[in-house]
Amino acid sequence: MKLVYQILATAIVCFLVQIFLPWWTMALVAFAFGYYFNLGSGAAFLAGFVSVGLLWFAKAYSTDLATQSILTEKVNRLLPLNVFVMMVIVGGLVGGFASMTGTIVKGKKQARYY
Amino acid sequence: MRILKIVLSSFITIALVYSLNRSWNFGKPIPPLGKFLDPFHGFWKNAESKNDKPADVHLKGLTGEVSILYDSAMIPHIYATNEEDLFFAQGYVTAFHRLWQMEFQTHAAAGRISEILGSAAIDFDRGQRRLGMVYAAKNSLAEMEKDAQINLLASRYTEGVNAYIHTLTYDRLPIEYKLLDYAPEDWTPLKSGLLLKYMAKTLNIGDKDFEMTNALKLFGKETLDLLYPDNEKVGDPIVDNPNGWKFKPVALEGVAPATEPELVQINTLEKSEPDIGSNNWAVAGSKTASGSPILCNDPHLELNLPSIWYIIHMNAPGYNAMGASLPGSPCVISGFNDSIAWGETNAQRDLVDWFKIKFKDKSKNEYLSDGNWKKTNKVIEKIIVKNASPYYDTVVYTHQGPITYDETFHADSEKKYYAFRWVAHDPSKELITFYLLNKSKNHGDYMKALDNYSSPAQNFVFASVSGDIAMRIQGKYPVRRKDEGKFVLDGTKTFNEWQAFIPNDQNVMYKNPARGFVSSANQYPTDETYPYYVTAPNFEAYRNRRINQRLGEMSKITPQDMMSLQADNYNLKASESLPSWLALLDPSKLNAAEKNAYEKLKSWDYFNQINSEGASYYEAWLHQFFPMIWDEIENSKIPLPYPTSYTTIKLIKEKPDLRFFDIQSTPEKETITDVARKSFSESVEEIEKWKKEKGKEPTWAAYKDSYIQHLARLEPFSYHVIHGGNGSIVNAHGKRNGPSWRMVVSLEKSGVRAWGVYPGGQSGNPGSPYYNSMLDVWTADRYLNLHFNTTAPQMQNFSFAHQTLKSDK
Repeated sequence: MKLVYQILATAIVCFLVQIFLPWWTMALVAFAFGYYFNLGSGAAFLAGFVSVGLLWFAKAYSTDLATQSILTEKVNRLLPLNVFVMMVIVGGLVGGFASMTGTIVKGKKQARYY
Repeated sequence: MRILKIVLSSFITIALVYSLNRSWNFGKPIPPLGKFLDPFHGFWKNAESKNDKPADVHLKGLTGEVSILYDSAMIPHIYATNEEDLFFAQGYVTAFHRLWQMEFQTHAAAGRISEILGSAAIDFDRGQRRLGMVYAAKNSLAEMEKDAQINLLASRYTEGVNAYIHTLTYDRLPIEYKLLDYAPEDWTPLKSGLLLKYMAKTLNIGDKDFEMTNALKLFGKETLDLLYPDNEKVGDPIVDNPNGWKFKPVALEGVAPATEPELVQINTLEKSEPDIGSNNWAVAGSKTASGSPILCNDPHLELNLPSIWYIIHMNAPGYNAMGASLPGSPCVISGFNDSIAWGETNAQRDLVDWFKIKFKDKSKNEYLSDGNWKKTNKVIEKIIVKNASPYYDTVVYTHQGPITYDETFHADSEKKYYAFRWVAHDPSKELITFYLLNKSKNHGDYMKALDNYSSPAQNFVFASVSGDIAMRIQGKYPVRRKDEGKFVLDGTKTFNEWQAFIPNDQNVMYKNPARGFVSSANQYPTDETYPYYVTAPNFEAYRNRRINQRLGEMSKITPQDMMSLQADNYNLKASESLPSWLALLDPSKLNAAEKNAYEKLKSWDYFNQINSEGASYYEAWLHQFFPMIWDEIENSKIPLPYPTSYTTIKLIKEKPDLRFFDIQSTPEKETITDVARKSFSESVEEIEKWKKEKGKEPTWAAYKDSYIQHLARLEPFSYHVIHGGNGSIVNAHGKRNGPSWRMVVSLEKSGVRAWGVYPGGQSGNPGSPYYNSMLDVWTADRYLNLHFNTTAPQMQNFSFAHQTLKSDK
């Protein structure tokens, strides 16, 4: 359940932040929620990847629909991979690693052995 | 262990963000993927829908409010309360739709493409600088700044462009900036000057002096006159006014000294294609159905996207002009107002010379002129290169101009130096001409406007509501002695230099000729009684005759008739050459494919229509035939000029035993019959190969495969189009060049009516529905009705969006 909460929280806050700020600020948001939820590396990565990937996909898909894919199909021919796939990978990887860094930085209390 | 994990994970995250926030080049440029793909700010924000409307804005620098109504084709109709705001608004809307293109073209003019594309563009950039493009623009700018009126319009236009640039955030940057990862810099009046020099380079830099010099040495004078006559004497000149030149011409003393035979081994810069030309004409009221003059213009240029033209309607008290503007330059360039209409075609004239320079020593610090050693001026050009250190190039200038080619540039083994003299290097003030034309009320105003015009030389057609039609071939033309300027010149004697220019009032022009129309299509400018020597790299031989023949026989002309003439696909060249070529073939000796081609050619009606197969076989044959005839020129190691199609066709008919018809690579001695047969077989083979590859019949438009290319050569932003026509045909649409703007204006007393179209769209954004919205209209040879109402409320019915520019003081 916590995983779903982290995904939702990250996506919502990223959405608000990204309206105003550059793309990489989503990494800070993903990091913050990775730290807060502290789910451990694997789950945190998954949460970060899915939240940013989904958010970006949804936002881009709505633009694509509203503009009848006018630019999507052109940019598709410019890049080596489908833009949606590429975008989800790019956004997802950054979100995932940022979230993972968050949880690692916080760490598990009992794991502290120094 | 945990520290290591933290370090590793943070490092990966930061490295990812860093590498996705910048562009890379792995043989192919990669945009900054994170930034570019971000759906909140990246390329997605450049996608537009038909319902997106320009919003009202507050702008610093306006004196009052400006209303802009956009019609359904996204053409802006600007209503300002004074001219200051009018030019500001023109700069603003043009940048709004075309910013990237404006900057890219002026960067290209200035030799700054390496800044954007990297080291692959260094040779191009050096060429631009070595031709003196920036030098020319700076000379013009200095002249412009002396004139208060030009200064005002250039600076207000600049402020408008910059007002737009300053509203931009990353998400609203044109997509090309996002792809190539750079940002626009501020606009300056120098950039408007550079744009006009870019046009001058496209239109007026043609020359074949090196090639002709080599031909003189290799072939001798007699052959030269046969292959490259000054005047092919075909059809009517633009202005036919025998014995009507009542003035005392400027005469230079002496005769041009004979050219010293020599060979020049220079790999010259790419020249503009002979296909670049244009049509314009005006018919008097006596020939039209309405009784009012009709004026037409279609400039033929390389067809690119965003288009070279941008339609605009500019309205302020005392100002009401509409037509095609050049993004980057204020005013309408080819258009009309409520009293007159005007348009341009290129004036063919030799405006370039190469002077052979004698340097004192290797340092190139001094050169000989009239027995004295003069100091050169060395300009160090710094070329900024993306992802690399800057490239420095030293260009030596003499008083004649820059030494374009030297041992470091396109002339590796050459130890001779030539200074480049080009009329576009001289101070000039074209902008005032267009400003005055935009406001002209009658023929007298048009004449005054043109008195200020020097480069690029153009044939200016004119018609007025009051019923006048006129043509004036305006430019700054050096007075030349016979044969002067065809070859390289001796730069050590000022006797050989440009000593005088033809006075404006002695330029070729006339008004209301008896035949009831004026026309120009880049042909020979005037009759033989004109008292100045005229020469040019080439003159057009076919379009002009077809146009004049049609205009001569037409009466009760309607605007629709004029549109049909602009779209006329009759191939006069084919009609004059094909029958005699077919007669050289022996039908009994043809194979099946050749027989089929022969029949297609025989039954062809000489129209290059979309579906004509005859046209494909003809053009393919010509494409094999001419290089086979001129193999001596084609395979030459030193640059030589090509004879024109007209001369080639004439020689095939009249001189079947010309020595050039022998194919040099074979031991046999070929005659024209052998060459015709051999080239015919090869062309049929080529078409058979094409048929197999494409799996379809070789209809003309499919075989021609016209292409309209994005300026950065991005394939997904470019289009293949199905359209008839070809070079030398009135509808001059070849593979890459063609009618870049088509305009028909009916100058009726009850109100001027006009139609226009170009192959592209008003928006320069590939993500906008208006990027290519006119393309299909143009391809179908249809036009947009250009709504020309004098007040904003009258425009409401046609407007799709209303934008107000408000003053933000």
